[in-house]
Amino acid sequence: MKSRLIILLLIAASYGMSGCKKLSDDSSNIYKYVLPPGATVSDAAPLCGSIKGVMLTGKTYTLGCDVYINKGDTLIIQPGVTVNSTNGAGIIVRGSFISLGTQSQPNYLTVQGVSKNTTPGIPLAKDSAHIGLWKGIIGDTSCTNMIIKWTHIDFAGAAYGNVAGPAVEQKASTSFCILFQNPNGNFILEDSWLWGGTDDCIRVSSGKIHVFRNTFEKCGGTGGDIVNVKGGTVGTMAYNFFIGTAYNGQKASNKGQPTGAMQTNIVMYNSTFVNGGLQVIPGQRGSTINYEEGAAGSFYNNVAVNCRVGYRVVINPVADTLHLTYGNNYQYADSLSIANQFFTFGPVCTRPQTTDIPAPYSYLPANYTYGASYDGTPVVQALNPQFVNYPLPSPYSPWSVSAIGSYNFRLKPNSPLIGKGNTSVTPLVVVPVDMVYGASEVTPPGADLGCYQTNGRGNQH
Amino acid sequence: MQLHLQKGAFLLLFLLVCKCSWAGIIRGKVSDAKTGEPLAGAFIHLQSTQYSTTVNLDGSFIFKNVPPGKYQLEVKLLGYTYQNNIAVSVNDTQQTIVAEITMESQADILEVVTINTLHDKNADRTVRNIEKNSDMVQNILSAKTIQLLPDVTVANALQRVSGVTIQRDNNGEGRYAIIRGMSPRYNNTLVNGIKIPSPDDKYRFVPMDVFPSDMLERLEVIKALTPNMEGDAIGGTMNLVMKSSPDHFLFTANVAGGYSTLFAQRPFTAFSHSSINKQSPAEAHGNTYAATSADFPLDNLHYNNKSNPINSTLGFTIGDRFLNKKLGIIFSATYQNFYRGSNSQNLIQSAQPGYNPTANTPVFTDAYERQYSTQTNRLGLQNKIDYVFNNRNKISLFNLYIHQNDLQARFTPDTTVGTNSSAVSRSVDVSYRSRWQIQDIYNATLQGDHQLSNQWKLNWSAVYSIAKNQVPDMASYDFNANVLLDGSGKVTRVDSTTYGTNMGRIWQRNKDQDVAGYLNLTYTPRLFNRYVEFMAGGMYRAKTRDNYYNDYNLKAIYTTPQPFHTIDQVSLAFSPAANGTGTITALNANSYSSHEYIGAAFIQAKFMLTTKLQVLGGVRAENTKQDYYTVMPATFDGKDGTITYVDLLPSIHFKYLVQDNQNIRLSYFKSVSRPGFGEVVPYTIPGEQFTEIGNPYLKHVQADNIDLRYELFLGHADQLLLGSFYKRLQNPIEYFVTRNGGPSALFIQPGNADQATNYGFEAVFTKYFGNIGVSANYTYTHSEVTTNKLLYHYVNGTGVITENVSQTRPLQGQANHIGNLSLLYKSSKMGLDIQLAFSYTGERIAQVSQYYNLDTWQKPFSQLDLSFEKRIVKHFTFYAKLNNLTNQPNQLFLKTPPSVINQQFSGYKIPFQTSNDFTIVQKDMLKLSFLGGFRYKF
Repeated sequence: MKSRLIILLLIAASYGMSGCKKLSDDSSNIYKYVLPPGATVSDAAPLCGSIKGVMLTGKTYTLGCDVYINKGDTLIIQPGVTVNSTNGAGIIVRGSFISLGTQSQPNYLTVQGVSKNTTPGIPLAKDSAHIGLWKGIIGDTSCTNMIIKWTHIDFAGAAYGNVAGPAVEQKASTSFCILFQNPNGNFILEDSWLWGGTDDCIRVSSGKIHVFRNTFEKCGGTGGDIVNVKGGTVGTMAYNFFIGTAYNGQKASNKGQPTGAMQTNIVMYNSTFVNGGLQVIPGQRGSTINYEEGAAGSFYNNVAVNCRVGYRVVINPVADTLHLTYGNNYQYADSLSIANQFFTFGPVCTRPQTTDIPAPYSYLPANYTYGASYDGTPVVQALNPQFVNYPLPSPYSPWSVSAIGSYNFRLKPNSPLIGKGNTSVTPLVVVPVDMVYGASEVTPPGADLGCYQTNGRGNQH
Repeated sequence: MQLHLQKGAFLLLFLLVCKCSWAGIIRGKVSDAKTGEPLAGAFIHLQSTQYSTTVNLDGSFIFKNVPPGKYQLEVKLLGYTYQNNIAVSVNDTQQTIVAEITMESQADILEVVTINTLHDKNADRTVRNIEKNSDMVQNILSAKTIQLLPDVTVANALQRVSGVTIQRDNNGEGRYAIIRGMSPRYNNTLVNGIKIPSPDDKYRFVPMDVFPSDMLERLEVIKALTPNMEGDAIGGTMNLVMKSSPDHFLFTANVAGGYSTLFAQRPFTAFSHSSINKQSPAEAHGNTYAATSADFPLDNLHYNNKSNPINSTLGFTIGDRFLNKKLGIIFSATYQNFYRGSNSQNLIQSAQPGYNPTANTPVFTDAYERQYSTQTNRLGLQNKIDYVFNNRNKISLFNLYIHQNDLQARFTPDTTVGTNSSAVSRSVDVSYRSRWQIQDIYNATLQGDHQLSNQWKLNWSAVYSIAKNQVPDMASYDFNANVLLDGSGKVTRVDSTTYGTNMGRIWQRNKDQDVAGYLNLTYTPRLFNRYVEFMAGGMYRAKTRDNYYNDYNLKAIYTTPQPFHTIDQVSLAFSPAANGTGTITALNANSYSSHEYIGAAFIQAKFMLTTKLQVLGGVRAENTKQDYYTVMPATFDGKDGTITYVDLLPSIHFKYLVQDNQNIRLSYFKSVSRPGFGEVVPYTIPGEQFTEIGNPYLKHVQADNIDLRYELFLGHADQLLLGSFYKRLQNPIEYFVTRNGGPSALFIQPGNADQATNYGFEAVFTKYFGNIGVSANYTYTHSEVTTNKLLYHYVNGTGVITENVSQTRPLQGQANHIGNLSLLYKSSKMGLDIQLAFSYTGERIAQVSQYYNLDTWQKPFSQLDLSFEKRIVKHFTFYAKLNNLTNQPNQLFLKTPPSVINQQFSGYKIPFQTSNDFTIVQKDMLKLSFLGGFRYKF
């Protein structure tokens, strides 16, 4: 009786477990977009859809709608090319994007007929820099090379929308001017100019980077870090000039490190930050350099003038402080409220270094612990950097001036920044060095603080 | 109306003489002649004496010290035939007389057609009988049990069923049922045996808190499926059997008021919803319209306090039979209005842990003390009309409508202890959120039963259902501020500027519409000298679903930051301005329409293999065809899709009648669980912690289930059930991490794990001792699933790495130990019922983390509730329900000791901690609440 019952049960069970496996498999027919093959670029008509090939010297090309560089394809822009975006179009890169401007023949990626406004104190909402007139250059996770040399990228920062956004696994409302997301790809930005934006100017979710000798004006919008790198990004940022940033100029974090990617490790040296942190409240964010959440690296020889908050090493979520070194960093303040934030409060653990200028213990209490308040009066307007043409103290509220305009931030011969640099810092070079497919020059750390060097090297703008 | 007590009783009388040597006693039992159920509450009287009493819960009665003599016993009970001619004689005081009295239900006489035995369908003893006689494994709560429970919603009542735990919302209210450790997705909900759609925006499972418990005739939890049931339940099927037409005039009404003691400590926060636009700006003006801050009135972000809000419930049921008892009508309406809330402490986890001091050290960004204030009002209407043509044909129409409004204000007043802190400053993030949710369920079912011949029977159902959910304009804003302190911790200044001010406005709604038909044919021939019941049938259901999602995010815009005063004074804008257009906000993959067509057919046979062994077996085939169409452009992968599959679901159920009151059941069934309608759409929804994305390649889950159960029914209403189960799941759906895009949002996505197993045993025990009853159940469950997780750690020489490791853990929501214990006291004489109910749910995973060892667990939760009913005068009863007598909080924790987390900081310690062994990340303080009122029953 009992055995018969068990047998019946077993028969039923085995039938259920094995029976009709095929039928019960989910058969799904999910729509898949097939990218059309890339068409060779031409200046005859506005470009739209998949493109590849070479944009030729001296020619002007128009983007009629979003263009895609397919996986495996390459778009090379020869020197002296202008690309005008219309209809808010952007360049989505799944293959390689290489813009090879030169000092004498820079390239322009811009929007026609829009003028740059350098009026001090112009409201954000009225400034053409912060409208977001086109989407910029958007790499997806398969973009192998994004190499940009001597190129102007102006007025970008439009929302990606529901075509380009999902195509690169971003929200429709994302509006970075440049996005790079491949931990094994190369992101090279050299000697280029970025003007304007609405959020982060450059977001590197992951990648091997080389960001040298660039100029950033009016970057960010109501918020946004300018060169913001996240988990799995390795490389060097050096000789960059920032003016009028929303939040930080250079920021490194290991947040969202992909499996198989390296820890974020960024060497930063000889960058200049002027009037940084338009949208920053001290205690919450930084305005110059910021290391947080597991990021390792080093920062030396940097210059911060009238930035709302000083150099910032974050303690929660904590940066990889065991593998982070820094020193020889300079700060200048027009006012006490700025001087009081040279060593800012909040979740920070930036340690004063004896090589910093002005010497930290000339104004910090002897038993200073990070995060504590102090009186910065001794360093208000101390050690004027002696820029060639920029009045200090500024006649304007410092954060009113967000573009270089006719100013000149190179150093006068009597600048206290000259010869104070630490030249023993080793750049972290993870990208190929090549005139076309790599970095043109890895400029070693300079003897003078900041991005302009009296020996003529460094930032060439 | 007067009681119609008719003579003509069926009488069975045993007189047994006991040679005891003390007082003259008459004792006995009163039971239903047909079902044998004890008839508690019957009035019993020794005629021409002062001896009278009412019958106890277990059917017993007793008269002590009865002088010798001859007596006539008189027995009265509503709905039963009056008896007054039961002769008892007591010869001397040394004697005990035992009388077994059975009573005939009037219904059997009144009822022209014997459709059902119309004894009191709501009674507990009836359901025991259904359990006993049922073909499969199930547990049932009767309306009488539910009425006496401290619970006003079906969700809360469900926790009293063996093997069931409930998932609670922020206010501690039960919402979803976990059956035998299987999360809500593995269970389905039926109303009168018919599947109803869910108002949920993503899943199929129905929020059980929308059903007022007083609408039920009984609540069945069926744990083993037969071929004639829909096969998409692996944990179990919850069948809400609604009130059906009575056999005589019926009118009951109840009204009650109550209060949550939480609002004695702080006021209830309310906001105005009268000016909320049901349509988003993009719907009102088209998707190309660029909305600005002017399109978002701030009325729903203005709050006012309500002190001492009073909860109320109202309900009535009326029914009768007309036209010579051929037409039966019942109508019932329920209205509930509740003010609930909780104070909640939350540590907000960063999407990614740290690697220091150990791998996957949790990182917290904020410490919140949140206050929830939720007003829920719920209207339930149902009616059933049945018409009995003759003794072979009957049709009925059932209508159910449920409408629920939830108005929830969430206030996060202060991160008084923020982790973004130092000795001289604290950063605080103040936020407000207003959410209005409207849910509607409507179901109409037309059913027919036809006895075609003595051997052939046909029944059919035609069903239309709709479930709607709307969350119009969920509004929230937050602002940051710095609290500055001097060295001694004294606040010197609050710097609250518009930095970080964000305002979010979300419109979300979804609608499911089902049209379904069911047809079953039963043939009962006599084969091999016994009746064999063959049943074959099928069903077809076409579902249409619409989903709309539109998410706006505005930021404070100033050239230089300004101090924050009120949200009305903040200049808000979209940045870039194009982010206010519907093309950005509304054209997302979460706006879609979809269909599902399910066709099923089954065949089953039921027969007695031997005189003691009943076999029910058969097979069911279900064909599923599903599609969806998002509003996304042609460039979007997964823009639309179609999914089809066919399941063959065999099952076999043995019931072995050991004795008349003992069964052993053994069953095997195969069942499935389909992914939620939303889950297969490639949506992206930002969550509190993680952004969630859909998965069009999600497969449905298939499971093999084996059940073994022993049942013992004693003394009419007493029972002992012992059971065990084993389930093996193919492609169980779990949430996994994927990282495709930006780093700040690690996505979580539903995916299929290879396999999971779940086994356990359960025990149910009910025993009545005169006026006192004890009911207990206990379930042990063990489940295992292995999934990939991330390990974020430091490796010497390499640096910090993120790698994949696999981890075996229980299924989400499954607790190893769950149990219930109720003590009942019932005195029919005093008209008093008291129930003390204790429920316990052991430790379980509340949220699966994508990181190794970082799952969020829920502390064992035990709740003590009390309810009582007292008859005041004829027809009137006073009742009260007291919930959470012990102020038990709901606590979520991580299994990382706080000391490990604190090593990340120099001197700072994370708040809210009470133990050195685990880290509390959420603690909801739920306070005692009570409800008291009157019930009128005719």
